[in-house]
Amino acid sequence: MLVLVCIVAFPTFFLFYASLHEWVLFKRGMPFIGFENFARVLTSSEFLQSLKVSVIYTFSTTSLTFILGLGLALILNKELKGRGIMRTLIALPLVIPPVVAGFAWKFALNREVGVIGAYMLPAVGFMRSLLADPSLALGSIIMADVWSKTSLMFLILLAGLQVVSPDLYEAARIDGASSWQLFSHVTFPLIKPAVIIALIIRFIDAFNVFDTIFVMTSGGPGTATQTFPLLGWKIGFLYFNLGEAAALAIIMLVMTIGVGIFLIRRIT
Amino acid sequence: MSKNLSKIVGLTVSLAVLILLVSPPAGAAKTEIRVLCFAQGFAWPELFGTSGVDETERLKQFEEKEGLDVRIEWGDETAIRQKVAADLAAATGRYDLILVGTDGGVQTYGYGGFLEPLDKYLEEYPTEYFDPRDFFPSFLDANRVEGTLYALPYYSFGAGVMYRKDIFDKYGLTPPKDADELYEVLEALKSGLRGDGITDVYPVTMRGAPGEEPTLDVAGFVYAWAGYPAWFEGGATTPDQIRDKKAMPIFTGDFAPGFSAFVEISQEYGPPGIATHTWVDMMNIYAMGKAVILMPSAINAYAALGVTEDENVKKYTRFAKIPTGPGGKQIQSFWTFSLGMNKDSRHKKEAWKVLSFLMGKESMQAFAERTQWPNVTMKSVLYSDVLVKRYGMEEIKLNEESILEAEPFYFPYIPELNEYMDRIGTATSEAIAKMKSVDQVLSGLQTWALETMLRGGYYK
Amino acid sequence: MYVEKFSNLKKLILYAIVLTYLVFVLFPLVWLVQSSFKSMYQALKIPPDLIWIPTFEAYHKALGGGMLKAFMNSAIVSLSNVLLVLVLGISAGYALANLKTKASQNIGFWILSIRMAPAFGIIVPLYIILRTFRLVDTIFAVTVAHLTINLPLAIWLLKGYFEEIPSELAEAAIVDGATRTQVLLYVLVPVAAPMIVAVSALVFLLSWNEFLFAFILSSEAARTVPVLVASLAGTMRFDWPLMCALSSLALIPAFVLVVYLQRYIVRGLTFGAVK
Repeated sequence: MLVLVCIVAFPTFFLFYASLHEWVLFKRGMPFIGFENFARVLTSSEFLQSLKVSVIYTFSTTSLTFILGLGLALILNKELKGRGIMRTLIALPLVIPPVVAGFAWKFALNREVGVIGAYMLPAVGFMRSLLADPSLALGSIIMADVWSKTSLMFLILLAGLQVVSPDLYEAARIDGASSWQLFSHVTFPLIKPAVIIALIIRFIDAFNVFDTIFVMTSGGPGTATQTFPLLGWKIGFLYFNLGEAAALAIIMLVMTIGVGIFLIRRIT
Repeated sequence: MSKNLSKIVGLTVSLAVLILLVSPPAGAAKTEIRVLCFAQGFAWPELFGTSGVDETERLKQFEEKEGLDVRIEWGDETAIRQKVAADLAAATGRYDLILVGTDGGVQTYGYGGFLEPLDKYLEEYPTEYFDPRDFFPSFLDANRVEGTLYALPYYSFGAGVMYRKDIFDKYGLTPPKDADELYEVLEALKSGLRGDGITDVYPVTMRGAPGEEPTLDVAGFVYAWAGYPAWFEGGATTPDQIRDKKAMPIFTGDFAPGFSAFVEISQEYGPPGIATHTWVDMMNIYAMGKAVILMPSAINAYAALGVTEDENVKKYTRFAKIPTGPGGKQIQSFWTFSLGMNKDSRHKKEAWKVLSFLMGKESMQAFAERTQWPNVTMKSVLYSDVLVKRYGMEEIKLNEESILEAEPFYFPYIPELNEYMDRIGTATSEAIAKMKSVDQVLSGLQTWALETMLRGGYYK
Repeated sequence: MYVEKFSNLKKLILYAIVLTYLVFVLFPLVWLVQSSFKSMYQALKIPPDLIWIPTFEAYHKALGGGMLKAFMNSAIVSLSNVLLVLVLGISAGYALANLKTKASQNIGFWILSIRMAPAFGIIVPLYIILRTFRLVDTIFAVTVAHLTINLPLAIWLLKGYFEEIPSELAEAAIVDGATRTQVLLYVLVPVAAPMIVAVSALVFLLSWNEFLFAFILSSEAARTVPVLVASLAGTMRFDWPLMCALSSLALIPAFVLVVYLQRYIVRGLTFGAVK
């Protein structure tokens, strides 16, 4: 139990400690510098750029995976032939390691040698590079994330739908409810806990995605796809500034908790 | 209920603790030397097998002879970087030997005092596994920070032009010797390919992804165009030189021409996706026969030769020396895959034995036999039968000349190097993708560099 | 029992939606699997060969070397996570669902949000603490670390589900003289079986594919599949077919398990009992 508590709590305390000190690996010593790390992170131009990219990325992937996941869960909760196998297939991308998913998309979308980017798309007249064009790269990494993570939403929501007793539908149908009314008055209220959890989990997850983006674009071109985790990785493990990296991690943590509370309040 | 809950929790925890206590303590009688690095299955398969986790006969023999137990641990480059940093920062000394590249790792950890200086070991503990004089000096030098040796190199590379002789012959071209010829060749290839209606083969493949990776090559262009490492006034390359001369950054000055040339060549003659290309893309594009020239990091074409099944790529790939820039210096691209010794290691002498064995002649020879790449650290291995037979004496000589002429200090060796590398690479990618002009990204770099050096106390 | 009836048109539309999505899901998967039977050059060749002589070299490497151990490790870690989550998660979820105090409402969220701080921030402290406890490179450590993610998640999910189960069920049983534990084991768990199974599948998949903790905690003895696969993306060498082969192999146990669990995700087994 002690170990468990330590694993959960210690890193957070440590982060606070590190964020208040100048801790750069190539400098000796670790002096206390107050909130200077925070000030530096918040005022850098990379921070604003990453904030923009992170917000777009997190919002798009969370909502897209939610809509797709909910839609698929609703459909495959019905008595359709072959739903077992379809559910299984939809769950599969969750098993592909993110690094492999990243390389698979990178190789497939590659404009020079990729089966999609160099073969299928040029055949229909689309000649731009999906991974290196500043206006398309973000869309490409969002698509890869939707591919990997819709499964997660699907599974959580499908589990949630198991609570809804078919008898309730029957009762509502007898009262003459339409499909939409059925969903908004019967189904949705019942699966609301699952929806909140799904949204929050997915939000935290999307906010922290690193591997697929790093593999596909390295955050580029330029900084067009550089989300917070990529920025943090650079600050911490390329610039070896563990103090500033800790400050950014805490800023992200505060954002995560803020959005989480907002979601919980809003929906309940 | 809650009573039951705590019972269950308690039971599970005590069970867990029990498992923990019962599990045998790691490490038997032999001294254990832990190695942390990347390139699983590529580095030392003769020792750790192609899967990277086997115990081969050769490894066992070595362990038996020295009374050591060598444990190697692999990861991908990004992940290993974090683990190295975590272990060094935690000062636990879990890993005795750690991977440090010459593109920032050696400098950062050397200046940070995390690595054991190796000069002493070279002198006092001569090893039977290699003769220090056999190393090409530049490969060792690249691992020195202010004169102190912090790591030993395994596979390493200098710059070169890898090209398709069949396509060169078709358009009547010869390898370029200087920048003007380079532009001429590229232009001839571009119009030639276009004239023949070939749209999916590009004159050149280079790397332009953001981050530190392309900077190895970009800095090589800067060096060739300016004629010196034009990052700081007067070509200062160490913290002391920068401090003594109060050398200011010159990213908008002499740094600019080489940088612009790299961006221009990438845009005009490179593949469309170049702004996010890494070495993997260079390798793939060359292997699939989609590029005529691969430069300046020629090693990526040797990697491509290991992958390709395209007869023409196999048959007609040639090595040529890298062109000289307008500044009178050759374009550079220089890197060594190195292992350093953790200062917190508890078994330094034993670790040195393992290090000299891993980087020694036998390992290097095995590398050459297996990969057939000339990217080796020792002269005797470069001229060994296997490589001479494969490439012919002439090309091996060209390779040696390239290594001898290479300048490992073509970028400054300062503690902040990694951050510079990353920012320059990212600026390159931005400029290639035309998100900003070359002038804009360079003045951005200049402002940032000035601020960083001021804050670092260089101009007090 | 009531079964929703749809018109054929509606059915057709639903199938069309799912199938379109399946094409999107399956395209990369199929591409991965076929790449594992090719050489790197063949895998990247365009137009791709649809008929080729498959090579089993990647599988030979994957199954021949010390790589199988990673599969064993992954299986042990994920299955023990599922078991522990079932035991601890169900009881805790049920207890919290009954507590109804403000503090307990979103405890899962708090644990999770702290626990899921960005990797680049917690990797160093985590490494320090685990070294202090001498937990590096044991399967036990990886299992425990995964539990710190999976348990709060499972408790939180199960709590939500338990709250939705009509309270008449439990009350009726208590009137009949059952204890709380009996109510949980004999009344609620059977009712909640489909969700419990779904949560188990989720825990299994998350644990099977977890990278960060598995990576920090394992050296060679406790390496799991995702850690092994990632380590192959080295420098100067890129064994794409091997990565594909390992990923394809990793799909099999997950596929089998999910198919097996599917049979239990059938609903409404006991809801009729309420009336």
